[in-house]
Amino acid sequence: MEVTLSEKDILKQKTEYTGVHPQKFALWLAMASMTMFFAALTSALLVKKGDFRAWENFRLPNVFLFSTITVVGVSATIHAALICYRKTKFAAFRWLMFASFVLAVLFLVLQLIGWLNLQAMGMTLTGTISASFIYLITAAHGAHIAGGLVVMLIFLVFAVKERNDPLYELRDIINPKRQLNLEMLASYWHFVDIVWVYLYIFFVMNYQ
Amino acid sequence: MQTAHTVEHAHAHDTHEEHHHHEETFLTKYIFSQDHKMIGKQFLITGIFWGIVGGLLSVLFRLQLGWPNETFPFLETFLGKWAEGGKISNEFYYALVTMHGTILVFFVLTGGLSGTFANLLIPYQIGARDMASPFINMLSYWFFLAAGVVMLFSFFVQTGPASGGWTAYPPLNGLRDTSVNLGSGIGFDLWILGMSLFIVSALLGGLNYVATVLNMRTKGMTMMKLPLTVWALMFTAVIGILSFPALLAGAVLLEFDRLLDTSFYLNNIIINGQLLGYKGGSPILFQHLFWFLGHPEVYIIILPAMGLVSEVLSVHSRKPIFGYKAMVLSIIAILVLSFIVWAHHMFVTGLNPNLGAIFTLFTLLIAIPSAIKVFNWIGTIWRGKVRLSSAALFAIGFVSMFITGGLTGIALGNSAIDIQLHDTMFVVAHFHIVMGVAAFFGMFAGVYHWFPRMYGKYMNETLGQIHFYITLVGAYAIFFPMHFMTGLPRRYYTYANFETFNNFDSLAAFISVAAIIVFLGQLVFVVNFFYSIFKGRELKGEKKADGYEYANPWGSTTMEWTAPIDRLHGNWPNEIPAVHRWPYDFNVNGKEFIQQTEPLKPGETEHS
Repeated sequence: MEVTLSEKDILKQKTEYTGVHPQKFALWLAMASMTMFFAALTSALLVKKGDFRAWENFRLPNVFLFSTITVVGVSATIHAALICYRKTKFAAFRWLMFASFVLAVLFLVLQLIGWLNLQAMGMTLTGTISASFIYLITAAHGAHIAGGLVVMLIFLVFAVKERNDPLYELRDIINPKRQLNLEMLASYWHFVDIVWVYLYIFFVMNYQ
Repeated sequence: MQTAHTVEHAHAHDTHEEHHHHEETFLTKYIFSQDHKMIGKQFLITGIFWGIVGGLLSVLFRLQLGWPNETFPFLETFLGKWAEGGKISNEFYYALVTMHGTILVFFVLTGGLSGTFANLLIPYQIGARDMASPFINMLSYWFFLAAGVVMLFSFFVQTGPASGGWTAYPPLNGLRDTSVNLGSGIGFDLWILGMSLFIVSALLGGLNYVATVLNMRTKGMTMMKLPLTVWALMFTAVIGILSFPALLAGAVLLEFDRLLDTSFYLNNIIINGQLLGYKGGSPILFQHLFWFLGHPEVYIIILPAMGLVSEVLSVHSRKPIFGYKAMVLSIIAILVLSFIVWAHHMFVTGLNPNLGAIFTLFTLLIAIPSAIKVFNWIGTIWRGKVRLSSAALFAIGFVSMFITGGLTGIALGNSAIDIQLHDTMFVVAHFHIVMGVAAFFGMFAGVYHWFPRMYGKYMNETLGQIHFYITLVGAYAIFFPMHFMTGLPRRYYTYANFETFNNFDSLAAFISVAAIIVFLGQLVFVVNFFYSIFKGRELKGEKKADGYEYANPWGSTTMEWTAPIDRLHGNWPNEIPAVHRWPYDFNVNGKEFIQQTEPLKPGETEHS
């Protein structure tokens, strides 16, 4: 009478207490944790700026404004993709996921151009601590974007690979695991996008 | 119930054919297990390994501190160049102290304690089949193991493991130059790597613990019906989720300084008359980031122990916990306060005295919830029919240690006094008693109490009692005299150059002897633990209609004992029982105890 349960069986348990799927809830907790990470980095910057008289100020390269627009674009397209998915418009879903992916890659490219611009301005990684912070924080944020890109790519690959199977995505709507994962992926992207918008505003306020 | 069982079966049949006839191999059952109970045991046994290593390191440096003029030729046999002529070198001494702290704080009392009991108890006691994500739970253990492998590996690199203190302060640890400090070389890079893996492990575990408690409780299990263990373990995880990222941020900045030559923490460093190019950094910044984790970390260590002790004391004195709500509120108060006291570790850094006063105030406020908890533990055993089992003895020992160490905390929390006592043996005595030994006592109480749940066997009671008395007397013998080594600085390799400290020589030797005895005493536990897994007295229970054997060896009210002795994946073979009452119904309505799953009788009112 051995009953061996799969992960799916275990998760059939009630979610009535918070009304949220436990894994989605765990993702929110992870966001709280990541928020603390970026809060620690940016408050370190503030402390440093406050106690170091030789804090070297400079204007943030304009390219970071474009990367901000791009990252907001990712949020919009992935949200639209989620809506299309719920309405079973899978062709549109695939295109929107592809658009999100391209925009997210573009974001990383723009960040890289931002670094090159900083170099051109003479603001190298080790030259001055005020520049070091920008490299560090953009790298830390870029790592979070890269992590989201990998998961997004996996989603996209399956969506494209199975595009001729009319049941593939539908089956997943009846069995909501894939939709849950998509929702979690979309919330993660909204999160890293909001973090970047915060970081951009923070940089603009602290570097003039 | 039978229907539910069949449905479950049918479901497994539908979707996952392979699960139905699933043969668990050694690899899936013991190594890559996604079962919370097995992961808990993995954490425990890994923690025991690290406990032995960490304890052994302290025995080695106690040899140096107790008999600084003697040589121990066997040390050279084992340690080679680190103990030439049988005397531990000063470089290795600092490595020993550093790694002892790192290993015991993180690998034993965080990973080993929280990892073990959160995994074992949360699903069992809230009535869940497993964690919110069993896969992430497995990853949490594997990151923990990987972190340990990296740390262990660092002992075998040529320049030795990290040796700049477990607090990893720059500038000493901010330069990779081994001419300044041997352990600042590759050893410290491995330390950072190991700690980063450890942080990932703690976060993955913590997310799961909190999500599980908040979402996956069985029917009827409201928050105020949770055992105090679950409250404590959940809030421990919350503290970890919010504070570990700060350490990670601090560590990232430190590695940037070390590997990429930035100057976040370094400023105008002169080595051998050479001015290095670092400009504008501040080592104090690291201390802020470090202690923003470092202080909450001590509550990450002590809260699980508090939870375990609350449960063990109540069960073994056959009395409801005294002041359940006050206990929960105290845990919440400790959680909040733990985040706003970190600078009390930094009173001598030139911190603004006005700011110091604020941190002193918050620090002393922690005495209130702590005292409430102590009062309630004593209230719980007061006039109880206390069974002095090993578990109960260690729980009572915990309260003793927590009081002793807590009292010196009140002294140290005052900035005016701390400035005098900073970095002396008084501090060593304080934190070892209040969070080191006390947390160990809580952990031992938990292991003795829940061993039957983990392995279906009992641990040997006589060995347990011997273990307790050696540890209680020995721990006081080690740490109590340290309070009176007035002004003796900690972390020194030798005090030979200080006339004024000569009079502590015999006391230091006494402490070292006690440390060696206590270390050997812990081996009694280790032998008992592993012997009992295989040859311990069997846990006997009654067979029910479903063919499974059930046992409740301590007469507990909580849900973990409503599952069969066999550790099934999914915990309950049938539907998960619903909960009807709070977890501390001892000696009510003429019954010695009533399990949480028993419905209220007509006319009976719920405990509130």
